[in-house]
Amino acid sequence: VPDAQYQLPLNPRVFAILVALLEGPAHGYRIRQEVDERSQGTITLDPGSLYRTIAKLLDDGILEEVDAPNHEASDDPRRRYYAVTAFGRELAAAEAARLRTLLSRAALRAAR
Amino acid sequence: MISRRRESLATRVFRAGLLWFPPRIRRAHGDEMVAMFETQWAKAGARGWPARLWLALRATSDLVTNGTAARFAALGSRKLGRPAKSVHAMGGRGTMGMHDVVLTIRRLARARLFVMVTLTTLTIGLGMFAVVYTAVDKVLLEPMPYPHAGDLYYVWRDYGPIRDQPRGALPGTDVLDLQAAGGVIEHVVALQAFLGGVFSSGGDEEAMEISAVVTSPGLFELLGVEPQLGRVFGPDDAGPGRPFTMVLTHELWTRLGADPGMVGREVSLNGRPHTIIGVLPREFDFVRADFNNPPQRADAYTNLRVNLTDPSPNLADYSVLMRVSRGTAPEAVAAAVEAVGRGVDERDFEGRGLRLYAAGLKADLVDEVRPALLVVGAAGVVLALMLLVNLASVLLARAAQREHEFAVSRAMGASRSATARGPLLEGVLLGLAGGAMGAIAGIWGTRTLVSLMPSDFPRREAILLDWSVGIAVVVVGGLLGALAAMAPARWATRTALPSLLASSSVRGGGGHGRMRRGMVVAQVALSLVLLNSGALVVMSLQRLLSADPGFRPEGVLTILVRTPPVFIPNAQVVEFQNRVAGAFATVPGVTRVSAAAALPLTEATTFEPTSIELPEAPGNTGDPARDAVLTDVIGVRAGYFEVMGMRLVAGRTFGESEAAAPEAVIDEAFAERFFPGVDPVGQALFRRPTAEGETRADRGPTVVGVVQQARIYDAHQDGRPQLYMRITNQFFQRPLYYVIATEGDPETLVPALRAALRGVDPRVAMGEPRTMEDIVASALLEERAGAVLLAAFGFGAVLLVIMGVFGVVAGSVTRRHHELAVRLTVGANPRQALGLIVRETVWLVGIGIAIGIPGIYAASGLLRGALIGVSPSDPFIVALVAVKLALATLATGYFAARRVLEIDPARVLQAG
Repeated sequence: VPDAQYQLPLNPRVFAILVALLEGPAHGYRIRQEVDERSQGTITLDPGSLYRTIAKLLDDGILEEVDAPNHEASDDPRRRYYAVTAFGRELAAAEAARLRTLLSRAALRAAR
Repeated sequence: MISRRRESLATRVFRAGLLWFPPRIRRAHGDEMVAMFETQWAKAGARGWPARLWLALRATSDLVTNGTAARFAALGSRKLGRPAKSVHAMGGRGTMGMHDVVLTIRRLARARLFVMVTLTTLTIGLGMFAVVYTAVDKVLLEPMPYPHAGDLYYVWRDYGPIRDQPRGALPGTDVLDLQAAGGVIEHVVALQAFLGGVFSSGGDEEAMEISAVVTSPGLFELLGVEPQLGRVFGPDDAGPGRPFTMVLTHELWTRLGADPGMVGREVSLNGRPHTIIGVLPREFDFVRADFNNPPQRADAYTNLRVNLTDPSPNLADYSVLMRVSRGTAPEAVAAAVEAVGRGVDERDFEGRGLRLYAAGLKADLVDEVRPALLVVGAAGVVLALMLLVNLASVLLARAAQREHEFAVSRAMGASRSATARGPLLEGVLLGLAGGAMGAIAGIWGTRTLVSLMPSDFPRREAILLDWSVGIAVVVVGGLLGALAAMAPARWATRTALPSLLASSSVRGGGGHGRMRRGMVVAQVALSLVLLNSGALVVMSLQRLLSADPGFRPEGVLTILVRTPPVFIPNAQVVEFQNRVAGAFATVPGVTRVSAAAALPLTEATTFEPTSIELPEAPGNTGDPARDAVLTDVIGVRAGYFEVMGMRLVAGRTFGESEAAAPEAVIDEAFAERFFPGVDPVGQALFRRPTAEGETRADRGPTVVGVVQQARIYDAHQDGRPQLYMRITNQFFQRPLYYVIATEGDPETLVPALRAALRGVDPRVAMGEPRTMEDIVASALLEERAGAVLLAAFGFGAVLLVIMGVFGVVAGSVTRRHHELAVRLTVGANPRQALGLIVRETVWLVGIGIAIGIPGIYAASGLLRGALIGVSPSDPFIVALVAVKLALATLATGYFAARRVLEIDPARVLQAG
């Protein structure tokens, strides 16, 4: 099993995708909307960058492709759904922990 | 694969852009990306076209950046032989392919001096390359801006059997024959220069001079252009007695105020009312090729009002343009035109063998400049090669500095491809950046080049650095970088840890030194070829500049004054010309005024050259065909030879007052041809009778003097024989160029001269005033531009070679530090050590020159067409250039080698 620590810090774009998918499987366009909303427009995922990253994350075993959830009767058969693997979850947690440490240190210094 | 619906254009373009991605990602996610783009596109559509434009831009940049990055990642994984996966063992590889690029950029950012020097070299070199590429591409390669331009041809007549005129115009009857020929010949139009275009749009506006072309109907259809306003000439506009009609170019229409209501309005051209029937679109551009004068770009077109059957076959003045059936082979076109020509030859010339021939529209226009451009183009390629070698050498040196790093990472398990990627990426990134900066420098460079070029340089207006050229230059830069990085990359993969650990003294002693020495040899050889070409072209220009054109241009101002027959009837022309000359003479600062129908070095005479035959001349051969000599007959006023500073060889010039008998002055070529070994002064010139009933008693003028030829066509060689006729009421020409000798700066007198002319007749327009010095300069502009370019290339080449030699020699000193220190310790004196290094340089330069000399002879074939009065493989120049290059490089080598003297043996050995 690859060591999550080794891949930190995560590229903000990767982290954003992971966070978006933590709520459940989604297709590319949904991921884009989620990320856009959460990052308040600071991270935009155009098709090229989104799918290059997805391809990479699939290769590294961070994401996996899943069937469309039942409640989502897809209107476009080209849409595929992605979910975070166990390793991906671990990775996201590690990054979150790293960021938390960073933030608390910053908060401490700022308070001093 | 999911079945595709009918896709919109934007989607198809996007899909095409996906080709930039590696196939693996494209296959896996292509349809998803398209689906996502379609959603974006639809949403943007709801917000209007600016949103769509923005999306298109963003999508392009998204595809290019991510496709490139993905390809880099895929490249690495393919070489590694396993699917793309992060290589965590190597510090140099992150999670993304783009990471490599970022790392490389960071690494380059630390070597600021190296990057600055390399980028400057690349910018200058690729900038020059961009300029040359633009000129060659736009002038020689790009098709003319008409649909199926390859099917357009001019038709000319070779008058060879009658007179020395290989490219002559056609009479109307030939035009009709061509039009009737059928077969592959689809459309034929006759074009004629409209002389003396004094234009007035009516009202109080001052008359201006325009350039107009007379055309038979069908020109614009043939060129595939629709009028922007109104209509073009139809069949009803052609023929005698038809009303005068005119089609304006967009440019003239704009100059007149761009009034859409102008169509239908009446204007005056040479005093005759013309109706404007149409305006051409802005992008329309056309140049009428002429048989005798430089190509003419028109401001307006007027209808041909003569019957093409009327003029006699000997009075030919049409440039004939035709369109052939789509894609006809040039051989078939030539055969069709030849066939028409044979018929004409039989009918009109008793089968003496005057042929008609077709010349492709583009070839016809650019043939004259082709040799010069090819030389410059070839020089550009050689320079690019030198850049390549230089870059390779610099990158190799840089890689050598990182030898330790490479060896360590190899030892720790980095694959060969991972090690090679660093130097490769550096090369590509530097090349791309250099290409981008070079393209920007090229924009400025092409502007400079165009401003250096003569205004009648063919396709001059097309020489603009556009997107396609810019991208081509960036790609060339990237390719150069990649190629140049091959050597260091290959070398980097060969480094092995043991070689580093074995001994510090042999560090870097392996392949890279040999490679760099080979590169110096190549640079010396290439730069020798470039320098030699540059030297030859500069020498050729010098010949031209020092050539005596037969007159002195200093302080002479020239002004063309049109005298249209509608304003000034024949009987009053000379009187009018007297008044103009008199008015000019009264302007303060003017010392003397005269005039002539043709000016030196303008390549143009207002009158067609005439075949002159002198039945009693001693120079005759007895063969009537050869005794008729094509001559420039130039009408001049008294004082012309004095104002122009022409050298009188024999006799006298024209006196101020008109003599009782007509007088003529001939040039040396004329004297040589008709009066060899005889004093021509006092001889009567009897010309072939031109009118019915003319008898031998109607003697021509008497020769009063002989002058040196004032060259009309080329600065370096005499043109046709010249016959100067004094302008009288019996023999007059119009329009005339007034030549005005001035004190001080001639340009300052222009307003006063303009006012003086207006005082004589306000209806007459003054042409663009030009100083004789201007005319001389522009006659040599083309050669000057070529010489400047090639000299710059040569200079660039020397700089590159010096950098190369310095790098290699300095590197050699560093590499042999240890060895040299040992030598110094055991008793070698520093001079001997210095000699050791210098000897290596001598060898490299010597071999380079030995290889370069055959290269010079190989290049001479290409150069020949661009040189005047200089042999392309002059051994003296070759030797001179070789010696200078050797001196420069050896001096560089010596200075670099002097670092040997700074070696402190004790310290080196202690450290080692």
